[in-house]
Amino acid sequence: MDWLEQELKTALSREGPPAGFAERVIREAGLRAGRPVYRWPRWLAAAAAVVLVAGAGLGYREYQGEVAKERVMHAFRIASVQINRIQTHVREVAR
Amino acid sequence: MVFSVCWHFLHDREQAEDVAQEVFLGLHRNLESIQSAAHACHWLRKVAVQRSIDAGRRLRRRPQVALAEVAEPAAETAVRDPLLGETLRRLIATLPETPRSVMILRYQEDLDPAEIGQVLEMPVATVKSHLQRSLALLREKLARRGVREERWIG
Repeated sequence: MDWLEQELKTALSREGPPAGFAERVIREAGLRAGRPVYRWPRWLAAAAAVVLVAGAGLGYREYQGEVAKERVMHAFRIASVQINRIQTHVREVAR
Repeated sequence: MVFSVCWHFLHDREQAEDVAQEVFLGLHRNLESIQSAAHACHWLRKVAVQRSIDAGRRLRRRPQVALAEVAEPAAETAVRDPLLGETLRRLIATLPETPRSVMILRYQEDLDPAEIGQVLEMPVATVKSHLQRSLALLREKLARRGVREERWIG
């Protein structure tokens, strides 16, 4: 340890708290312990969680429904194009 | 220990007292999570540093102790200049938060770099780097003020 480090040890030696500090902390702890602390009822938190999960589930199901509907419509469009082609081909052969 | 960490960090007795009080009240609230005396000591150090950093940010303390305001030790002072301690404390108060915390834990609490790393949740190499850089910076600032090893030796 060099001279600067020794000086730092001296300069940063522990300082005691002001007189009466411990008593003030104990008094404040007592005051805070006596104060009513408002807490959310547990059933409210549980209900909020259920609503959140149910809402998310419903939203997901709706989204899945939209995706399925879009797929069916796409399949119909492809089928329609194929039927038109076959119809045209049949007409040409019939002539 | 707690008040001293806050005081060396904030360089303001009133604020240090408030922060130290909050730290002890925090300990009181979290007593059930404390497993041993050593754990309590570690918890107190860690929270004292964190709360001091928060308080320093809130109060924007750092600009209030500008390097220019640090008193220069008189030219013809004796060995173990009493002003040097105050100069060092003020110079430390001008360091950024992390190196300041590292220096306080190293020289006030006498923790080794590994222990400081645990308290501040940083790698040992980073702690060592902060220590080296801070010491180099302090040496430079002191040299600029005419304080050198030779003078200290007398």
